[in-house]
Amino acid sequence: METEQFNIRMPKDLVQDLDIISKLLKVNKSEWVKTKLAEEVHEEKNKLLMELSTLYANGMISKEKIEKLVGKEVADEMESIKIIAQKSVKHGLGYGKKLSKLHS
Amino acid sequence: MAWDMAKSSVNYILDTSALISLESIDILEQVLEIFSITTTNSVIEELEEFAKYDDKYGKIAKDILKQKSKFTIESCKITESINYLELTDNKLYNLSLKKKFPLITDETKFVHHTRHKIEVYFSTVFLVLLTEVGYLTKKEAMDKLEELRDIRNWRNNIIYLITKNQLGQL
Repeated sequence: METEQFNIRMPKDLVQDLDIISKLLKVNKSEWVKTKLAEEVHEEKNKLLMELSTLYANGMISKEKIEKLVGKEVADEMESIKIIAQKSVKHGLGYGKKLSKLHS
Repeated sequence: MAWDMAKSSVNYILDTSALISLESIDILEQVLEIFSITTTNSVIEELEEFAKYDDKYGKIAKDILKQKSKFTIESCKITESINYLELTDNKLYNLSLKKKFPLITDETKFVHHTRHKIEVYFSTVFLVLLTEVGYLTKKEAMDKLEELRDIRNWRNNIIYLITKNQLGQL
């Protein structure tokens, strides 16, 4: 996996707490922080994207605005999901009506 | 609800996610009675892998595999590959291209990368279809959508919101 250096200064108390965790769990301090940070970032990112997609589904934000906020890739994917969710309903309605007529 | 309808000639291709969604809200049996459903060997293998575990998805996979005889299972040669997709999804995509059958999946990435090339829908299409033909009442469809939302952890995602809104207007 490609990595990038990211330096942060932490309060001494927090570093001491990390030392305790590291000793008790017998794990590498940096690795433990990296894992916890990854979990938190993943969860927060998903939560925020979910909120964004809720606004988009409800027509409260445009695709262009989403693109400006989080990039073209995410905006395109949200657009695809919205279009196919609408098409799924439309197909279900249209074909359901046709089937009902055929059997009535 | 008793429901009597001859099998439709329309054929759909279902992937693992769609089969799991439909079985999890107890409508797969009805879908198999009304529509011709095709899937691939790779999907069956994925379900067999899920079925090895005793968790929620393991149980659902076992229940789907019990109905295996009602599917058409095909293997498909990949003639056109989409880089972003895994092998199983590329096989399903190629099967849909070859047969010209709509593909049903709840994988959003799969939908995103194939929607311009094949006819593709989310599994929620069957909630609307079964409601429209009278197998499900509007309330039952709404309840099943809520169930699906919980099982799939959809929360307030686009699929849930749009389907809920449209079902509400039926």
